[in-house]
Parts: sequence; structure tokens; C-alpha cells
Amino acid sequence: TNGDVKTAGDSLEDLLNQIEDYAPTIPDAVTSFYLNRAGFEASDPRVTRVISLAAQKFISDIANDALQHCKMRGSGQSSKKVGKDKRYTLTMEDLTPALTEHGINVKKPYYFT
Amino acid sequence: MTSTGSSDLAAAHRRALRVAVGVICMESGFDRANESCLESLTEMLQSYLTELGRSARTYCELAGRTLPMVTDVGMALTGMGSNVKGLAHYARRRRRFPPLHQDRSKQSQP
Repeated sequence: TNGDVKTAGDSLEDLLNQIEDYAPTIPDAVTSFYLNRAGFEASDPRVTRVISLAAQKFISDIANDALQHCKMRGSGQSSKKVGKDKRYTLTMEDLTPALTEHGINVKKPYYFT
Repeated sequence: MTSTGSSDLAAAHRRALRVAVGVICMESGFDRANESCLESLTEMLQSYLTELGRSARTYCELAGRTLPMVTDVGMALTGMGSNVKGLAHYARRRRRFPPLHQDRSKQSQP
């Protein structure tokens, strides 16, 4: 609207138009359940989808960071490596540093085995 | 205060959230996940959705409206430290699993 400067509002409007035929991994009904619990009732289902997508990205970013930690740790030890078919397991050992990068402090309870 | 209500409805939604977390982890490239990790991420996802809803509603009410607009969500997202511009890029990502849940109303029609 204002020349060639693209504001965050513009990119949101673009996203809103794109998201019409996009199905997020989190079902719409589930997202609206938690939003309604917080007193948020979206009139436009696309708004709910934008929130689903944002929440999905939040978890995805953390999972990606955890995978990088997992790969870095795995490169040192080659005992579990079976050719090209390498499997990655998400553990607290990788998740905790990934969460710390996002400013979330997770304290692992001692009594979980 | 526990974040998960004791009702069956809350438990069902929580399970759906857990499945979504599992899919997101698989999309990232993990093959397996520990129980405690999945549970932590589910709890975080639930908190994130609740906080986003609360924050967006507050911005909406601050503007004197009752029906939230997408700009309120944008404000809430920015306030929580997410980059709104990265969202469109994420939506166009290449490695993407098809959604597990099917729209039942569409399924029944041949």
C-alpha cells in the first residue's frame, strides 16, 4: 500500500490469502478449542489457521534445533551407525539445549527412568 | 493449577496435539522420540496456543473490538518474539507431510 515498503501487516494479509487451501498439521478444531479456552473466538477460520501454522512453526524450529544437536553429538560416536540408514531419536539430551536457545529452561526430573 | 483439565474433551484435544507434535518431529527428520520429550513439546504447544489466544484477545480488546482480526494475531506473535515474515516461508516448505486428519464432511461425499 505504501510504495514498495512491505510491512508485517501486509505479509500477514498475504499469508491470510495463501492459507485458504492449506491444512496445518494441528487440526482447526483443536486450535480453536485452546483459543476459546483463552477467550479468543475467531470469526474467520483463516485466522485460526494462521495461529495453527505459527504454533506448528514454533515446535518445528525447536525440533530442528534438537536434530542439529543430535547430529552433532552423533558425529563423534560411530558405534550406532548402520550404513546410510541412520535413525535419529529425540531425547531430552538434545531437546534441553535446543530449548535453552529459545529461552526455555527445562528441568529434568530425577525420578523419571 | 494443572494445564490439562480432567474432562474427556480436554484429554481428546490433548491427544490430538500429541499426534501433531509427533508429525512435526517426523517432518524435522526424527524417527523416534522419547516419551518425556513428546510430553514436554505437547505441553509447550498447548501453552503457546493458550498464550497466543490470550494475547491476541487482549490486543483486540485494546483496539475496542470484539471480533479479533489477523492484525491482533500479528501483534501477539510479534510480542511473543516470532517473526511474522518467516511464517509464509514456513508454509511453503518443501519437506511436508500430508495432514493426518481428514475432513469428514468431504469424505462422506463421493
